[in-house]
Amino acid sequence: MQPGTLSSFLKRGAIWGFILLELIFFTVAGEFLSLSDKAFMDVDNMLLLFKQSAPIGIIAMGMTIIMINGNIDLSVGATYAISAIVLLDSLTWPIFGSLGDWVIPVSWALALLTGVVLGALNGLIVWKTGVDAFIVTLGSMLGYRGLVFMYNGEQPTSHLNWTLVDFAEAQFLGLHTATWFLLVVTAAISFLMNRTVHGRNAYAIGDNREAAVNAGIRVGPHMMINFMIIGFLAALSAVVFYSESGSVNPNDGSLYELWVITAVVLGGTKLTGGAGSILSTFGGVLAIQLLRKGLAHIGADTETVNLVIGLILIAVLFLDRQLNIKGKEELKI
Amino acid sequence: MKLRTALAVTVATAALSGAATAETYKIGITQNNVGVDSYQTTYEKAFIAAAEANANVETVVLDAGGDVARQIAQMEDLIQQEVDAIIIWPTNGEAVIPAVRKAQQAGIPVIVTNSNIAEQGFDFVASFSGPDNITQGARSAEIMCEKFTEMGIQDEAQIVQISGQPGYTTAIERAKGFEDRLPEVCPNVTLMETQPGDWNREKSQKVMEAFLVKYDDIDGVYAGDDNMGVGALNAAKAAGREGIIFVGATNFAVGYEAMERGEYWGSIYQSPVDDAEAALQTAIDVLDGKDVPFLNYFDTPKITQDNMGDFTKPVF
Repeated sequence: MQPGTLSSFLKRGAIWGFILLELIFFTVAGEFLSLSDKAFMDVDNMLLLFKQSAPIGIIAMGMTIIMINGNIDLSVGATYAISAIVLLDSLTWPIFGSLGDWVIPVSWALALLTGVVLGALNGLIVWKTGVDAFIVTLGSMLGYRGLVFMYNGEQPTSHLNWTLVDFAEAQFLGLHTATWFLLVVTAAISFLMNRTVHGRNAYAIGDNREAAVNAGIRVGPHMMINFMIIGFLAALSAVVFYSESGSVNPNDGSLYELWVITAVVLGGTKLTGGAGSILSTFGGVLAIQLLRKGLAHIGADTETVNLVIGLILIAVLFLDRQLNIKGKEELKI
Repeated sequence: MKLRTALAVTVATAALSGAATAETYKIGITQNNVGVDSYQTTYEKAFIAAAEANANVETVVLDAGGDVARQIAQMEDLIQQEVDAIIIWPTNGEAVIPAVRKAQQAGIPVIVTNSNIAEQGFDFVASFSGPDNITQGARSAEIMCEKFTEMGIQDEAQIVQISGQPGYTTAIERAKGFEDRLPEVCPNVTLMETQPGDWNREKSQKVMEAFLVKYDDIDGVYAGDDNMGVGALNAAKAAGREGIIFVGATNFAVGYEAMERGEYWGSIYQSPVDDAEAALQTAIDVLDGKDVPFLNYFDTPKITQDNMGDFTKPVF
């Protein structure tokens, strides 16, 4: 057996094994601790799990590309909030008044465009200035959030459109609208990363940027496209979520960047770039949502949930490090 | 014919709910943000205590942590778990309406607690349990009038108002309750000017500083809550103006302390314990099939320097 085969197998399978473990644990614990007469593994509950994973999950797909690239994007939560405001506010703009319910696709398009533009701005700054993406997006996280507050102060921006709500609440083949969006995005980004030149280049750049430059990859524009993709996905996540809720608080989406990064890292994507998989990120997203849902199911409070997720994240990173070291047999501990 | 059907249905419901009382009610609650302030923390403790004291009730206590998305997910989870009733403290009065509608469509009565949801959602709500801001404002007017009468200046007193953040229902209602009631009890007291203090102590202090410059004779200040009232008090103390009667519309710990020092006259006592117990009781009454008013207010008594010994210091 090649050195590293076992460890990489372990790493790929780890997240799914972890999900299985969670399912077993919450099913058993739920029997004793939950007030619900229904089993944790109830079909409806599992369908809800997918639906509730969608807001974080859709953004996490974009974050996986960015992190494989060796970058990071901290501004996704603020982009999410701005796109939500554009979506809900544009529904009431007088210039679209004559459109009736056809204003909905227009508002969607505007919200998605907002996400792409904000993402492009991040990408452009990273490309042209060469400043680390962490710093650039830290700045834009604050800046974009500032825009949110400038727009409507501390007040929520609201518009309830029942046609939109009915669409978002619909279930097609048993799956909620949000779940469909999550699945389609996962499939599309997975295709992008595994079957296209752009996707393979993302790995190459993350693995060794200098080598990628020498191989003739235009790193700057490549990264800008990735930032536009994550901007688009942050906006899409807002579109999916706010179609169903109709009101956005100015602080909505704050800390989303951290949940998204947590999901991506749990899925095995390296913070240093060059390695990661979309499917494992999908697993990471499910694992987090399962934890949230499961702990609530057995009666733990919100603070406990955050504590447990934090501990698990650290444990996973530690395990990952140990496996890497042993796999390569570079160091003896 | 219709009446008879309605009667039959009522009787059947009553019989059903009569049978149901033998079993336990499963009530789920999703709160706004426990831990962000001590009002909400005390509320949760009181709610759990009240539920434990009642053998016929089992509760699922959840906290949205201020996150709308999480609250909507919790609503969905409670619906899926088929609880008998859901109590919600909305993180956002509009964003939760579709989730409330979902519960109503699933046949689960929803009780809104503390702050109501927007009017578009009223059709999907069984009852609202919380404080009545109009009454709070009206009682503040009475407190102020009684004090002026005692001082003998009820025919000449001039007052100013510092209101809450513009646009907030709570702020509008507390101002309205006061402004409507004052002319009824003290028709000769003049409300000279109203300015927003945005629930903020520093902002209110600045507003009051401006009032003090503008008006030489101010006998009373009405504030939308004690936080703003104490801000105004600080401005008056700094300017060396004495004898002003300060009244707030909700008693906070800072107001209570100022009352102990004799600097602040009175306020309205709103207890998180009463708030929590009222919410649970409303849910039980709805499940029992009792006739519960749509706006089910709990009592918020007057508190002044005279009777403050009857009340413990607010936790917030």
